[in-house]
Amino acid sequence: MEEEKKIRKPRGVARLIPGKCIACGARCQSDCPEDAIEMNEKGEPVINTAKCIGCRRCVKICPAQALEMYFTPEELKIIAGLAATVPEVVTTVEPGIKEYRGVWIFVEHTEGKPATVSWELLGEGAKLAKTLGVELCSLVIGEKVEHLCQESFAYGASKVYLIDAPVFQHYRTETYFRAICYLVEKYKPEILLMGATGMGRDLAGAVATKIKTGLTADCTGLDIDEKGYLLQTRPAFGGNIMATILTEKTRPQMSTVRPHVMALAKKDESRTGTIVRESMDIKEEDLPTRVIEVIEDATGEQLDLAGAEIIVSGGRGMCGSENFTILQELADELGGAVACSRAAVEAGWMPAERQVGQTGKTVRPKIYIACGISGAIQHLVGMQGSDVIIAINQDNKAPIFEVATYGIVGDVFQVVPAIINNIRELRERKVDK
Amino acid sequence: MLLNISTIVFAASITLFCWSCYGRFRLLLLGRPENRFNDVGKRIRGMIYYAFGQRCTVSHGYRFGWNHLVLFWSFMILLIANTEFLLEGLFPDFISFSLLPVSVYHPLAVLIEIASVLALLAVCIAMIRRLAFPPSYIEARSRDAFIILGLIALLMVAFFGLHASEIAQGSEEAASYMPISKFIASTVFSYVPSENMGGYISAFWWLHAIVLLGFLNYLPYSKHMHILTGIPNVFFRSLVKVNTQPREEFKKGNSFGVGKIDQFTWKGLIDSYSCTECGRCSDNCPATATGKLLNPRLVIHDIKVNLLKNGPLIAKKKDMVLPLIGGGEGSVSDEVLWACTTCGACMEVCPVFIEHVPRIVDMRRNLVEMNAKVPDELVSMFENMEQRSNPWGIVPGDRAKWAAEADVKPFETGKTEYLFYVGCFGAFDARSRKVSVAISRILNAAGISWGILGKDELCCGDSMRRLGNEFVFDRMALENIRIFKEKGITKIITECPHCYNTLKNDYRQYGLELEVIHHTEFISNMIKAGKLKLNAKDSGNVVFHDSCYLGRYNGIYDAPRNVIASVTGHAPIEMERRNDRSFCCGAGGGRMWMEENTGKRINVERVEEALKKDPGTICVCCPYCLTMFEDGLKAKKADARVQVLDLAEMVSGALK
Amino acid sequence: MLIVTCIKQVPDTTQVRVDPVTGTLIREGVPFIINPYDTHALEEGLRLKEKYGFRVAVISMGPPNTEITLKKAIALGADEAVLLSDRAFGGADTLATSQVLSEAIRRLGQKEEVAIVICGRQTIDGDTAQVGPGIATRLGYSQLTLVDRIESVDLKAKKIRVRRRLEGRHEIVEAKLPAMIAVVKEINSLRYPTVPMRLMAEDSKATLWDNKIMGLNENTIGLKGSATQVRKIFSPQRTSGEIIGDGIKDPKEASRLLIERLIEKRALSI
Repeated sequence: MEEEKKIRKPRGVARLIPGKCIACGARCQSDCPEDAIEMNEKGEPVINTAKCIGCRRCVKICPAQALEMYFTPEELKIIAGLAATVPEVVTTVEPGIKEYRGVWIFVEHTEGKPATVSWELLGEGAKLAKTLGVELCSLVIGEKVEHLCQESFAYGASKVYLIDAPVFQHYRTETYFRAICYLVEKYKPEILLMGATGMGRDLAGAVATKIKTGLTADCTGLDIDEKGYLLQTRPAFGGNIMATILTEKTRPQMSTVRPHVMALAKKDESRTGTIVRESMDIKEEDLPTRVIEVIEDATGEQLDLAGAEIIVSGGRGMCGSENFTILQELADELGGAVACSRAAVEAGWMPAERQVGQTGKTVRPKIYIACGISGAIQHLVGMQGSDVIIAINQDNKAPIFEVATYGIVGDVFQVVPAIINNIRELRERKVDK
Repeated sequence: MLLNISTIVFAASITLFCWSCYGRFRLLLLGRPENRFNDVGKRIRGMIYYAFGQRCTVSHGYRFGWNHLVLFWSFMILLIANTEFLLEGLFPDFISFSLLPVSVYHPLAVLIEIASVLALLAVCIAMIRRLAFPPSYIEARSRDAFIILGLIALLMVAFFGLHASEIAQGSEEAASYMPISKFIASTVFSYVPSENMGGYISAFWWLHAIVLLGFLNYLPYSKHMHILTGIPNVFFRSLVKVNTQPREEFKKGNSFGVGKIDQFTWKGLIDSYSCTECGRCSDNCPATATGKLLNPRLVIHDIKVNLLKNGPLIAKKKDMVLPLIGGGEGSVSDEVLWACTTCGACMEVCPVFIEHVPRIVDMRRNLVEMNAKVPDELVSMFENMEQRSNPWGIVPGDRAKWAAEADVKPFETGKTEYLFYVGCFGAFDARSRKVSVAISRILNAAGISWGILGKDELCCGDSMRRLGNEFVFDRMALENIRIFKEKGITKIITECPHCYNTLKNDYRQYGLELEVIHHTEFISNMIKAGKLKLNAKDSGNVVFHDSCYLGRYNGIYDAPRNVIASVTGHAPIEMERRNDRSFCCGAGGGRMWMEENTGKRINVERVEEALKKDPGTICVCCPYCLTMFEDGLKAKKADARVQVLDLAEMVSGALK
Repeated sequence: MLIVTCIKQVPDTTQVRVDPVTGTLIREGVPFIINPYDTHALEEGLRLKEKYGFRVAVISMGPPNTEITLKKAIALGADEAVLLSDRAFGGADTLATSQVLSEAIRRLGQKEEVAIVICGRQTIDGDTAQVGPGIATRLGYSQLTLVDRIESVDLKAKKIRVRRRLEGRHEIVEAKLPAMIAVVKEINSLRYPTVPMRLMAEDSKATLWDNKIMGLNENTIGLKGSATQVRKIFSPQRTSGEIIGDGIKDPKEASRLLIERLIEKRALSI
C-alpha cells in the first residue's frame, strides 16, 4: 500500500556512532540481511552504505546503542513533510510460552546444609512472583533433605518440589541436571533462579543447554518489564559495563544470581506450603561420575588465598610477625585468609606462599583489606582486581589510597581491633534480636 | 753423549709443549666467528698500555698488582734468557749468549741477574701473601698456585746455582757482570775444589732444564695458561665499553643463545683460557658478596672446564658429555645465571678484559629462547612486556597519568626538539612519578623545547635484553625505532639510566644514532651553561650512589657529583665503593623482577654501606636504585631519618 | 586420542576504561588476547599430551583475526588449530556458541577419538562459565567444572580423576571419558614459548571451518540461535576512593562507618 504513495519515506542508512561500539561480537553483522556490514580489526562494524537498505535491524540489535540511522538533509526534509503514522510493530509471542508459569528457586545445599544464597533468592523471587502474580516454588533435590522444604516455606516459598533419593547424596551434574530437566518439562516454570556459585553455575549451564533456553550468568539485579519479561542485569566486560539481558522466546528464563547481592528474605517459621514429591529412576551404575572424596578446606591460617573471598593483608607497617595475629583474628571473623606484601616476607614475618604481588600471587577477592601496606607498584598489580579494596595506613599519602575503594588513615593497631569489635557487636546484636 | 740426551729431551719437551698448545688452540676454533681484528693500531696500543704496562693489574687499588708487575717484567727479561737456554739445549754448538759481542752480552748478563733476583723475591712475596694474608677466594691457595710458584722459585735457584758454579769453576768470563751469582760462588761454593765443579754445573744445568721444561709443559694445563693467552686476550679486548649484547637473527633453523660450548664465539672461549684466577671479579660481584651462588670467576672457569672436556669430542663429532648449563664443575647452573645483576663490576676490574656479562646473557638467552626455562615470576613479566609493554602489565593508557601533576606537552613532530622519554618506572611507579614531575619542572626552567609521547610511549626493553629474551627485545626495539623515525625524534632525555643505555647503545646496533642524554648530564650541562639557576643551600649529609648503567656502563661519574655540589654547595659524601668500583643496588639485569631468596639482600648490603656515612639524604639517579634504597632503608628501619632522592628532585627543590 | 582445548580471543577487559564524562567504554588501544583462563586450559592440555601422549587440537570461534591467537597456541605446542569463523556464527550467546563448538568437536572426533575437552572456567569479557557445561551437555560428555588438579587419566579404563574446587571445599571426582573439563587458573602455571616454536607457528595456518563446511542449521547458531538478547548496556555507578572518618582521632567511629558502608554496598553481610 505504501508503494502506491508518490513519495516513499526515505529509509536512510545505518551508521556507527563513534566511541560507542563495545565489540559485542558482531551482532549487527550477523543480523544484517544484506551482508552490508563488515567487522574491522577492532571488532567494530563498517557499513557498506551502497548495500544498506535501511532496515534498522542492526540499530535495534545493537546492545550498546552504537548504531543510528543516517539521513541526508534532503531525506530529512521529506521525512518532515511526511506526517505518516508508522504502524506499530507487534512482536509475536511464541506459542506455548504462556503455558510456563511460576518462579522457581533451586535450593543449593551440600549434604543437606543449605547455601545462604538460596534464601536470598527466595527473597528476590518473592518480589518477582508478586509482580507476575504467580507462585514462588523451591526445588529441593538431595538425600535426606526434607528439612529444607520447611526452611523454604519459612523463607517464602509456597510450594516445594522434592526429590529425595540416595543417588542425590552428593551433587553431581548428571543426576541433578536430569532431575531438574524432568521437573521443568513436567511443571513448566517461567523463571528458574540458581545461585551463581560453583554448583549453581555448573548446573544451570547444563540445564539451559538441555532445555535450549536462555541463561544469564551472575546477575546482580532482576526485574520484570511491562511485558512480563525477566530483566536480568549483570556486569560484563570485566565489570566495566552493566548489561540488561532478557530471554524472549524460550522458557523458563534462567539466571544465576551472585551471592551476597540480594537481601535475605525474612524468616517466618510459621509459614507452610505444599510439598510435591517426585522420584526418578536413576541407577548408580549408569552414572558416569562418582564423587570419591570431599575434602573440607582448612580454615583460619590454612585457608587458601586462591579460594578466599576476603583477604586481610599486612605489610611493613605491621612491624613484626606477632602483630599478624590481629589480622588473622579479623580474617577469622570474616571467614577470610591472611596475605601479605613482599616486605613482610622479606622481614621473615610471613611465609612466601602468602605473598601477593608481582612476584607473588595475583588475587581477586571480593574484599581486600590492606593493613600497613604502602602500595608499591609491585604489590598493587597483584590485588587491584579485587572488588572492594580497603586501605588502612597511617600515611595519608601512601599510594595504596589511590586504588582503595575505602580508606582509613590511622594506626593499624587501633583501627583493626576496632573493626573486629564492631563486627562482633553487630553479630551479637543480631543474635539478640 | 750428555748433550745428545739433552737434545732429545729438549726436542721431545718442546714438541710436547707445542702439541699441548695446539690442542688448546684448536679448541678455540670450535667457537663461532667474531671480528676482533678491527683497528689493529688501537689494539696494539692497548696491549702495550694494559698488558706490557700492566695497567690493569695495578689498577683499582690492588696493591699486590705491583708484585705481579715485577714478576711480569722479570719474566719478560728471563724469556730471553730461557729462550737462549732452550735453543742452546737443542743446538748446543751454535747458540749461546757468550757468542754475542761483549758490549751486548755483559749488560744482558746484569739485566738477567737483576730480573732473576726480582722474580725470586716476587715469588716469595706471592707465597707469603697466600700463606699469611690469603685472598678471599679459596683457589688462591690451590695446589696449582703453589706448584707454579715453587717451580719458578726452583728455576731461579737452579739459575743462580748454575751460574755460581760456572763462576766458581772459572769458566764464566762475564762473572763480574753477575754480582749475585758471583756472591753465591764466593760463599756457597768457596769450599768446593774447582775440579769438582763440573758435577755441580751439570747437576744445576739439568735441574734448570727439567724445571724449565716441566714448567713449560705444565703451563697449558694450569691457570697459568694466562701467561700464554693473557696478552692476546688484551689485544682482542672489546674496544668499546661492554654495555650491550649482540643482536641475534631470528631465522627458522637458527639456534639462539648459548647452550653448548661451541656456540660461544672464539673470543668467549679464549676468555676462559685467559682467566688468571686473580679473584677480582668475585671480590667485586654484588651477587658473590651477598652469598648468591654466582661467582663470575667460576662461570669463566666452568666454561674452560667444559671446553676442555667437550671440545675434543666435538672436534671428533662425538656427543658432548657435559652440559654447559646444568650444575657441577664445568657446568653453569640456572640459578647462577639468574643471579647476575649485569652491573659490570667483574668486567671493570678484570686485568685481562674477560667479558663475563655477555657470556651470562648468552646462556640466559639459551634458557629463555630455546628452552623457555625461566623462573616462574618471569613468565608473567615477559607476557606483560609483550602485551602491554611494561613489566607490571599495567594498562598502557595509564602511561600519561603522571603528567596530570605537571606542566607537560606532547611531543610534536617538527616542533618539539627534545623527547622526554619517561620510562616505565617514571610513568607508573608512584614514587618515580614524583621524579618525572621534578624533571619536567627542570626542563621547563631550562626553557628548552620538549615533549612526551604519553600513552604512545613503549618500554625500551632493557630488562628483556638483559634477561636473555632477545626475541621480544628485538621486536620492542624495532617498534620503538619505528616510532622514533616516524615522529622524527633525534634527541632524547631519559629519566632512567637503563632506558638511557638501551636507547643509546643497544639501539645503535639497529643503525639508529640518537642523541641520548640522561637527566643528570642534561642538568649538569644546563647549570654549566647558566640556564638553570639554583639556590645553593646546605642540605646535610648527602651520600651519592653511582648507578651501574650510568657509571660503569657509560662513564658518567662527574656530572651527578657536580650537580650535587651546585645544589648543596659542597661535593657529596662518598661511600667506600664508588665510581667504577660502585656496588650495585641489586635491581639491574632484570633482577628487579625476580625474587632474591638466597643470602643477604644486595640492597640491604648497599644501604648498610651508605648508613656508615650517616647521611641525611641518599642521592640516586635511577628509579631502580631509588626503589631498592627505599626498600633497604625500611628494612633497616632507617627510613624515618634518611631520605632517598633522585638528583632531579634535589635540583627541582633548589630551582630559583 | 585427541584433547580439544577451546579458546577464545577476547578484548583485554582489564585495559578497558570508562570515560568519566560520557560513560562510554574507551576501547582504543585495547588489544585482543587469549582469554586468560583458556591459556591454563591449553597448558593443561599440553601437560596431558606430555604425560599421556595425546594430540592437542585447539579450536576457537571468532572473527578471522582470531588466527593470531591460534598461532600462539601452536607456538606453545598445540598440534592442530581450527578456526570457526562465519558471519552466521556472529552475535552468539552461550547457547549458540556451545552449538558451534560442540559440532566442531564432533567433526574432529570423526578423524580421531576425542578423550577430553578442556575449557577455561569462564571468559573475561562474558564471565558466564556456561559454554563448558553447554559443550558437555550437547556432546553427552562427563562434565567437570572448576577443576584445579587432574589427578590421573586411565586410558584403559577410560576414566579420569580430578579435583574440583568449590566454595569451602574440594571434591575428588572420578568420571568416564570422554569428559569436558573446565579449569581454574590455579591448576597450573603457564609455560613460555620457545623461539623456534614461535618461528614455526608464524608460518603455520589454522584450518578454517565456516558454516559451508559445518553445515549447521542457521536457526541454532549465531544471533538467530541465541536464546538471550541484550536489551541495553549502561555504565555502572562507580565509587571512587573515599577516605572514611578520622582514623587517627576516632578509629572506632571510622571502623563503624566502614562496616556500615560495606553492608550498604552488600559487600559484606553480617
